[in-house]
Amino acid sequence: MDILDFLVHGFAVALQPEHLLLALIGCTVGTLIGALPGLGPVNGVALMIPLAFNFGLAPTAALILLVSVYYGCMYGGRISSIVLNIPGDEPAMMTTLDGYPMARAGRGGEALGLSAVASFVGATIATIGLTLFAPLLVKVAIRFGPAEYFALFMLAFATIGGVTSGSFTKSFIAACLGLLLGTVGIDPVSSVARYTFGWYELYDGIDYLVALIGLFAISECLLFLERDHRLEITPVRLGSAVPGMRRSKSCASTIGRGSLIGFIAGVLPGAGASLGSFLSYSLEKRRWGDKGDFGRGDPRGVAAPEAGNNAAAGGALIPMLSLGIPGSGTTAILLALLLSMNITPGPLLFEQQPDMVWGLVAALFIGNVMLLVLNIPLVGLFAKVLQAPSWFLMPMVVLVAFVGVYSLNNSPFDLFMMLAFGVLGYVLRKLEIPTVPVVLGLLLGGQMEFNLRRAMSITGGDWSILWSSGISIGIYVFAATLLCAGLIYALLVKRRLV
Amino acid sequence: MSAAPPIRHAALGDRIAGAALALLALGAWWHSHTFVTGFMQPVGPGVFPRLVSVPLGVLSLYLIARPGINQRWPEKTALVRQLGMLLLLGCYAIVLEPLGFVPATLLATVLLMRLFGARWRQALPYGALLGFALYVLFEFALGIPLPDTPGWSG
Repeated sequence: MDILDFLVHGFAVALQPEHLLLALIGCTVGTLIGALPGLGPVNGVALMIPLAFNFGLAPTAALILLVSVYYGCMYGGRISSIVLNIPGDEPAMMTTLDGYPMARAGRGGEALGLSAVASFVGATIATIGLTLFAPLLVKVAIRFGPAEYFALFMLAFATIGGVTSGSFTKSFIAACLGLLLGTVGIDPVSSVARYTFGWYELYDGIDYLVALIGLFAISECLLFLERDHRLEITPVRLGSAVPGMRRSKSCASTIGRGSLIGFIAGVLPGAGASLGSFLSYSLEKRRWGDKGDFGRGDPRGVAAPEAGNNAAAGGALIPMLSLGIPGSGTTAILLALLLSMNITPGPLLFEQQPDMVWGLVAALFIGNVMLLVLNIPLVGLFAKVLQAPSWFLMPMVVLVAFVGVYSLNNSPFDLFMMLAFGVLGYVLRKLEIPTVPVVLGLLLGGQMEFNLRRAMSITGGDWSILWSSGISIGIYVFAATLLCAGLIYALLVKRRLV
Repeated sequence: MSAAPPIRHAALGDRIAGAALALLALGAWWHSHTFVTGFMQPVGPGVFPRLVSVPLGVLSLYLIARPGINQRWPEKTALVRQLGMLLLLGCYAIVLEPLGFVPATLLATVLLMRLFGARWRQALPYGALLGFALYVLFEFALGIPLPDTPGWSG
């Protein structure tokens, strides 16, 4: 067994004391960040990147830290959903529907325990899936030429509509905007300065990390400033999380189905955890119908979305690692980190850096166990964090972002760039234009253009190379199918909602 | 909280955004023609930006024609607070190097906490605490050289 050997090797990497410590720090910090209302995995990982960078961590260590934060945030997101009825981020939204009613009824501890188990199972199933499927995908991807890669990027952007609840038009506008922003800087092929308007600071292009932190963290704070500050919510009594663990046996089938659906939603490029939790919740609700108590505190309504969103988080790592195409906003940030370290994910990464890939996979398995162990007894402590006043938390977020960005290049220009992206992110969010496609466009634009131009130079400018191989035609057909499915689904939802 | 005004407002927001994006697409298309095409390159540096600006322009026009849902725009007081934060951070970025990290950050933390609703009694001690914590974290734990205050360090 190839994979087993690699995995054993990965565990040897992940079990190094330094890596174990980083995973523990990542899991704890991630759960804390995830538990804070309004701060999800995207913000959490974005804020941690400059720190990881400045720590001088090796790529493997930095990745282990950041994916631990990622998994931790996905665990933590449920805490504020259940305790405060405020989802930490979009994927945790479905958990509020039954989690908060359970907490109101004095079963908060049970909900937290059950959701911890559901999160663990979901994430573990996804990690097993990652272990099995990523190498398979790599075997296919290794045959990809530039034309096939170009098709793959088209697939990623075609499925982007599924990422968000927003409209298709707006998602595609956002993607185009990101792609256009990605062309700023010196063109690597011809050395022509594009859209720099004589500003030499722009010659290197727009720094992904600066843009990401602006788009997510700064715009989040701007949004926060207009919300009502006197949001006084008295947290409910929690009680023990152990009954929830016992309960999880009766929810086993729900958790299993949720994990599977979430995993598939995560793997599809462009779709993500929100879709995973939404689909698994609505499936359970439909399956049990009147027999369930959904919306009023049904334990299955907590187990399904939590299994779904954690499984999606793991699934989203598959296209990111094996193809270099992130499946979600957070994996886009992880991709940005890799690109900033001059590592290009993709099939070659598995051949050239097996230590990194398999160490990461093993670290995910270990991190999951850590998170389960941390979350059952310490859930009360994490819930305490929710009581920290926002006038302390939000300035802290702003300043960590600010100092972190400054320390990347010691350049005040970056700070203004970050603020500009903060305003852009804020305006986009107000217009209900999703920001994740902007990030994907910005990140993938360079590679997409590079592959297009390489394909063209092979044929001397004959565009038909783009659809001349079976693989690329297959990808286009798949993309078109998903696009149509997404459009039909959006229409159905619209019809039912209006 | 009547239903009618926000909807009209929303459509306006999308239309303005659509117009701005359409202009951006047009500008990008037009400017891309100034990029010098390299020798022996079937696809020069201007092609990809043009390829992107076409769908951007078309979709922006569609957005003007069929605006969707928007969130409500902030009230005046919120807008003032938001501008305050941007202004504060902008000033912080300007004074960070001339003034040095510690004084600039202490000032920024305290004012930010005020902005986010703390009283002076809360903002002063906790702002100082956060400022120093950041200094310790970045300067010592992470080992990043932060700008020194002139005439303060040796």
